[in-house]
Amino acid sequence: MDFYYGLAQIIGVHTLLGLSAYIVLLTGQVSLAQAGFQAIGAYTAAMLTVLAGWALVPALAASALLGALVACAVGFPALRVRGLILVVATLAFGEGVRLFFFNFDYQVARGGVRVGPLGGEGFRQIRYFPEHGWTTLEVMLFIWAIVAAVMAALWWFDRSRYGAVLRAVGEDELAAQSVGINLMAIKVSAMTVGGAIAGVAGGLFAHYTTHIEHTNFNILVATFALAYPIVGGLASVFGTLAAVVFVQGFLIEGLRFLGDWRNLLFGALIVLSMNLRPHGLLDAQALARLKRLLGR
Amino acid sequence: MLDLVQSILDGVLFGATYALIGIGFTLVFGVMHKLNLAYAAASVGGAYCGLLVAGLAPGVAPAWAVFFGAFLAGGALGYVVYLTCFRFIPLASPLATLMATVGMLLLIDEIIVHVTDGMPRNYPAMFDDVMLRAGEITLRGDLLLVFVVSVVCMVGLLALLFRTRLGLATRAVSQQPVAAELCGIRVTRVNAATFVITGLLGGIAGALIGASVGTLSPLLTTPLTVKGLIVTVIGGLGSIPGAIVAGLLVGGIENLFQMYRGVTERDLYVMLLLFVFLVFRPGGIFAHGAGRD
Repeated sequence: MDFYYGLAQIIGVHTLLGLSAYIVLLTGQVSLAQAGFQAIGAYTAAMLTVLAGWALVPALAASALLGALVACAVGFPALRVRGLILVVATLAFGEGVRLFFFNFDYQVARGGVRVGPLGGEGFRQIRYFPEHGWTTLEVMLFIWAIVAAVMAALWWFDRSRYGAVLRAVGEDELAAQSVGINLMAIKVSAMTVGGAIAGVAGGLFAHYTTHIEHTNFNILVATFALAYPIVGGLASVFGTLAAVVFVQGFLIEGLRFLGDWRNLLFGALIVLSMNLRPHGLLDAQALARLKRLLGR
Repeated sequence: MLDLVQSILDGVLFGATYALIGIGFTLVFGVMHKLNLAYAAASVGGAYCGLLVAGLAPGVAPAWAVFFGAFLAGGALGYVVYLTCFRFIPLASPLATLMATVGMLLLIDEIIVHVTDGMPRNYPAMFDDVMLRAGEITLRGDLLLVFVVSVVCMVGLLALLFRTRLGLATRAVSQQPVAAELCGIRVTRVNAATFVITGLLGGIAGALIGASVGTLSPLLTTPLTVKGLIVTVIGGLGSIPGAIVAGLLVGGIENLFQMYRGVTERDLYVMLLLFVFLVFRPGGIFAHGAGRD
């Protein structure tokens, strides 16, 4: 059973990562920096609990805050550029963060062992959960409580004026600007919210894996973060969740019996799904049909 | 001082391959206004296919035959990428195309890993025993070959773009796809041709990289993708001369910082270079006033 709890933890953290890209994508911006924000959150939370002895929840809040601050700081210069240049700028930022942690040493002796991040070897012994006697089930429930809270917040955002403005900017910048929407403020705020969510995802990730290193936050993770909302569709937050379950649950875990061939099928299925459903698995039509089925 | 000149020179020579990859990104962007993230993977894939030529006649196949095989295979792969990621996805959903090329990148990577059992393969080199000396400075023959072949490819590409009907059509589509179609240019055919041409360039770039590094491994695709994109942006989107200069610049800077700061910090400075350009010259090296896009 622990295996399924572990899988649910992975799905939860990846959902958060996908949602952090989702809110940025709503404004029409393609950001490959989410893995960088996740790395910042992961190292912050882990250093606070392991080195400073903080409790988990304030540490997660700190990583959300730092993720948001960095995202806001990146957002201002990066969002001056658009389209493809933004993709490359955010990609370079994400890689820069990864390379920073690749060269980052900060070790403290604790109970005879030296703990803390150590360059290429990464950050070992993030033992908050075992030390405080959390079971896998409890960790999973904790992660999913946060996922549910974030999803509820974003779902509510979508129904608020703010969500409408986000989508307006994403649909047509010029039209949005001409009805008096401040593009810069909207884009940077979306980036900031995305950074905060990615920071929390990083903090959770660091604690359930107990060992983080720079390769955990490479371009592949950044593209996955972007892939979830695109494969799932931007019509609703549930698209991202559906895509994470599809990718992590079905493509990665479900096809494990295929051995080596699974990886081959993985790329091919993404290509196929984009050809067949260019607006995502759960696009607006599918969502409308689903609503009718549920009798709304 | 001498080490400095030497390392910059080596870097600039190797940077020619970055320039080729950058041209591939920039050309596809110029014509279709889309990003083909599978490009570097397809290039490395083309280089691997070149090794098949060596496999056909083991021991006797000359290095140039391998290179030529890579060249052709790169073009074929370019067409496959066009068919799978661009042809059937509606123009109005750029995100779907982007994601499909990511899927293609993973697919090509995995096919390479699957076929080669994840082991790096040796790549044949030419002139690797030649050393040109100019005073205290030496030029490695294989790096010089990389440079010369890249320059020949670039000149060929420029001739194709500015001296042939296909090139005229390509430039027309990149300026105004609708107007080009109204003039009777078959846009889908021009797009496909662009992918084949960039694929050919990519195949030769992959082979040159394999030859100058000595081995070929699927681990090359990610750094190549990143470097190629950085070169594209520094050079200015859609600008071929910009991509050439930026490729050489990135190669030189990279090798310089590798010498001074070590291989783990090297790429950090390349990213910084990109940010310097994004802040001060967002339109690229040869931008006239406000950049496009």
